[in-house]
Amino acid sequence: MDCRNDGSPRTHEDDIMDIPLDDPEANKAAAKIQASFRGHMTRKRMKEDKPREERREQK
Amino acid sequence: MAPKKDAKAAPAKKAEPAKAAAPAPEPEVVAAPPALDLSTVKVEFTPDQQEDYKEAFGLFDRVGDAKVAYNQVADIMRALGQNPTNKEVRKVLGNPSDDDMAGKRLEFEAFLPMLQHIVNDPNKGTFDDYVEGLRVFDKEGNGTVMGAELRIVLGTLGEKMTEAEIDALMQGQEDENGSINFEGKPSSLLSLLSLRSRPKWYPFS
Repeated sequence: MDCRNDGSPRTHEDDIMDIPLDDPEANKAAAKIQASFRGHMTRKRMKEDKPREERREQK
Repeated sequence: MAPKKDAKAAPAKKAEPAKAAAPAPEPEVVAAPPALDLSTVKVEFTPDQQEDYKEAFGLFDRVGDAKVAYNQVADIMRALGQNPTNKEVRKVLGNPSDDDMAGKRLEFEAFLPMLQHIVNDPNKGTFDDYVEGLRVFDKEGNGTVMGAELRIVLGTLGEKMTEAEIDALMQGQEDENGSINFEGKPSSLLSLLSLRSRPKWYPFS
C-alpha cells in the first residue's frame, strides 16, 4: 500500500530507532513541539496573506 | 404563656447542587475528557484587545454570519499568538464530533472565554518546555537531535504531522551531519518554535 502522495504521516520501515509510541511523556513532548510549529505556520501564513489583502482593498 | 414550639419545622432545604452535576465518568463509547465549564472563565481582555480579536475573528468568517466554523477555531487562536494542541481546542469546544467540527459555527462572544481559557493555561508550552521536549529525543545527551529521528517522532508521536508539515518545519534546521543543535548557541529551531514571527497587527505585546 503506497500512501506516499496523500500527505499522511508515514513511518520508515527501515528505521532502527526505538520509537516510544506508548510513552506519554514522549507523546506530550512531541505534541507541544507540534502545537508550537502549527502556531508558527499559521501566523506566518497570515502575515503573508495580509499585505495581499490590503493591496486588494486599496484598488 | 409558654411559647409553643412550632411543630412544623421549616422543611429542610434540599442540598441543590449549585452547578450542574457532572455525569458519572463511566468509560462509555468515547473516552473523551469531561467537558469544560466555560461559564467560570472570566474574560480579562481589555476592550482594545477584544476589538483586535474581533477583527481577526472576522477575517475567518467566510460565510458572513459573524461566526466561524468550529474547525477554524484552532487557527484563529494560533493567529492570535496561542499554540494550543488540537486536543486542547476540541476540549474547549466541548468535545464536538467530527461532524460538529465541520458543520457547527461559533460566534465571537462564545469564542472569547475559550480563548481566555487557552491564554490562562498554566501548562502552555514555554521556551524551556521545547528544550525539555527535545531533550527527550537527545539520545546522546549532548544537546543535539538527529534530524531524521525528529522527523520520525513528529510523524508518529503526539499529534502527528504530515510529511509536508515536517518538511516545512525542518527546512534549514539540520547541519552538515544531519543534526539539530538545540542547546548552547542560539538554536534556529527553538527560535522558530517560540513566539517570534507575529503579524504586524498582533495584539499580544
